[in-house]
Amino acid sequence: MNNMLMLVRREFWEHRSLWIAPLVWVGLIVIMSMWGTILSLQHEDAIKIGHYETVEQIPGLSDMERAELAKQITAPDDRKETVYAIAQMVLASMISAVVIVVVFFYLLDCLYAERRDRSILFWKSLPVSDTQVVLSKVAVALLIMPLMVLALAAVTQILVSVIFWIRFNDTVLGQIMPAWSLKAWALSIWTQLQFSLGAVLWYVPVAGYLLIMSVWARRAVFLWAVLPPAALMLLEKMFLNTSHVAEFIGHRLGGFAQELEIAAGQANQGGHEIPTLSEAYNSFHFSGLFLKPELWLGLLAGAALIYATIRIRRYRDDT
Amino acid sequence: MTAIIEARGLTKNYGSTQALRGIDLNVAPGRIVGLIGPNGSGKTTAIKSILGLSSFEGELKVMGHDPRTQRNSLMTDVCFIADVAVLPRWLKVSQAVEFVAGVHPRFDRKRAEEFLAKTDIKMDRRVRQLSKGMVTQLHLALILAIDAKLLVLDEPTLGLDLLFRRSFYDNLLNDYFNHERTILVTTHQVEEIENILTDVIFIQRGSIVLDSSMETLGDRFTQLVPSAGNVEKARALKPFYEREVFGRSAMLFDGRKEAELASLGETRTPSVADLFVALMGSKEKNGQPAVSAKEAA
Repeated sequence: MNNMLMLVRREFWEHRSLWIAPLVWVGLIVIMSMWGTILSLQHEDAIKIGHYETVEQIPGLSDMERAELAKQITAPDDRKETVYAIAQMVLASMISAVVIVVVFFYLLDCLYAERRDRSILFWKSLPVSDTQVVLSKVAVALLIMPLMVLALAAVTQILVSVIFWIRFNDTVLGQIMPAWSLKAWALSIWTQLQFSLGAVLWYVPVAGYLLIMSVWARRAVFLWAVLPPAALMLLEKMFLNTSHVAEFIGHRLGGFAQELEIAAGQANQGGHEIPTLSEAYNSFHFSGLFLKPELWLGLLAGAALIYATIRIRRYRDDT
Repeated sequence: MTAIIEARGLTKNYGSTQALRGIDLNVAPGRIVGLIGPNGSGKTTAIKSILGLSSFEGELKVMGHDPRTQRNSLMTDVCFIADVAVLPRWLKVSQAVEFVAGVHPRFDRKRAEEFLAKTDIKMDRRVRQLSKGMVTQLHLALILAIDAKLLVLDEPTLGLDLLFRRSFYDNLLNDYFNHERTILVTTHQVEEIENILTDVIFIQRGSIVLDSSMETLGDRFTQLVPSAGNVEKARALKPFYEREVFGRSAMLFDGRKEAELASLGETRTPSVADLFVALMGSKEKNGQPAVSAKEAA
């Protein structure tokens, strides 16, 4: 356990982009929220509704638009909370998106860098097993970084809520979306937590694939990781005119979000009104995701890839 | 006493190239063994096998452990410096100390910090900001603070200037070595380690050419510079190597009593470097082993 903690710290020493990139991005989001309109992306007229105190004052709106805004202002609180919760989810997903990119490149680099700079022989001169080393990298990618996203999202959400309250408290926008709702915030965090757990389990085989490329490729790891699947897709299309490989990879990369979005989309089709907080929450079928055999088969494949990575690092010898 | 390293028929093939052709090794505790051979002779392969870094065939026990399957427990008792360049460039000096202290149960942090305090290395520097000599000092500071039973050094001073090389070996002898510790060192610069070694092993083309303690080396080998009239007489005693130095012949004998040779001219004990040139060089020329060292021993 001691070794594990040390190895994880080591990763953040070496791969400083793991913490610098998310922090810079969060800083940008907070600064952007002071001037920008990111909290109200769903409104094309966000600037307008953020500038006027009443709907009547807003120039250049059609009657229908005015009626729509009035309806949103008079909506019950539990529907307004949904707007708030969605805004929090949007914030969280902005942070996730950047962290996913960072983690992607981290996984490709983490076992390649030590061979490139020949430091692998130094690490191997210490009583740390290959299993511990590889698992520390898995832990960084699939445990520490998702937790970091949650923590950063929570802080960002609070900061942006405060900024939103200062900027929009007495405007039309402020009447449509509350600046703060503990219930909605807590529920959005809980949803993010489940989202993250589902995503992490779903992406274990992808992480395993990137790790094995990282430990195996002698150079150009990125190309080794990306070109073979792309070539397979292309060959299949050319010779068989089918796209099973593309579907398989696409489902593994996007399938997790697909499952949940379908559920959310169905809930939205039920009516054009904004759903209440509990309706919105219930439209995510997390438990269904955990019953999918693909999730568990993927986990098995991921575990096999990680085991193979450990074995390869054991005898990898480029020096 | 149980052997620190014990190998029987250690073999390693890279494709069709035989890097190790079934070598036998026996290293007792408390020795400083020089493993000496030209490039590509198999010395690095032998060391990698001992450290469990590469696969091999044959029997090999390092402090009773099989490096193939018990590498993790082995690394608590074994330390190695593979090359000066292996410390990662992004690592800070303080992080290096912190990390080794975190993972190595036998690391004495205070000792490492004391050692570093004697150098110009600052704790907040990264390895990339240090000179090559400083990187070696840092690595040495980390390694010397580990209470290991076996220290393996593979070309530890490669690319360093003479002052650093000298102080490297001085530190090693004064601060580290005692009779419970064993050091296995490979190097090209035979002359520099000659007087610190207790044992010497010559390896060439994957086979051991000579395996001897320094004491028996003196008993076994004699260099003779015969006086003018005695050259043919000396040749009749079958030196295994002969070369011209300033117009005079210098001959090396294996297993001849010094007293027997002394009547023919000047005798002395050959240096390890002389023997290296004689044993490795002559073999290269003839394509034949100059002496069958194992049989002779």
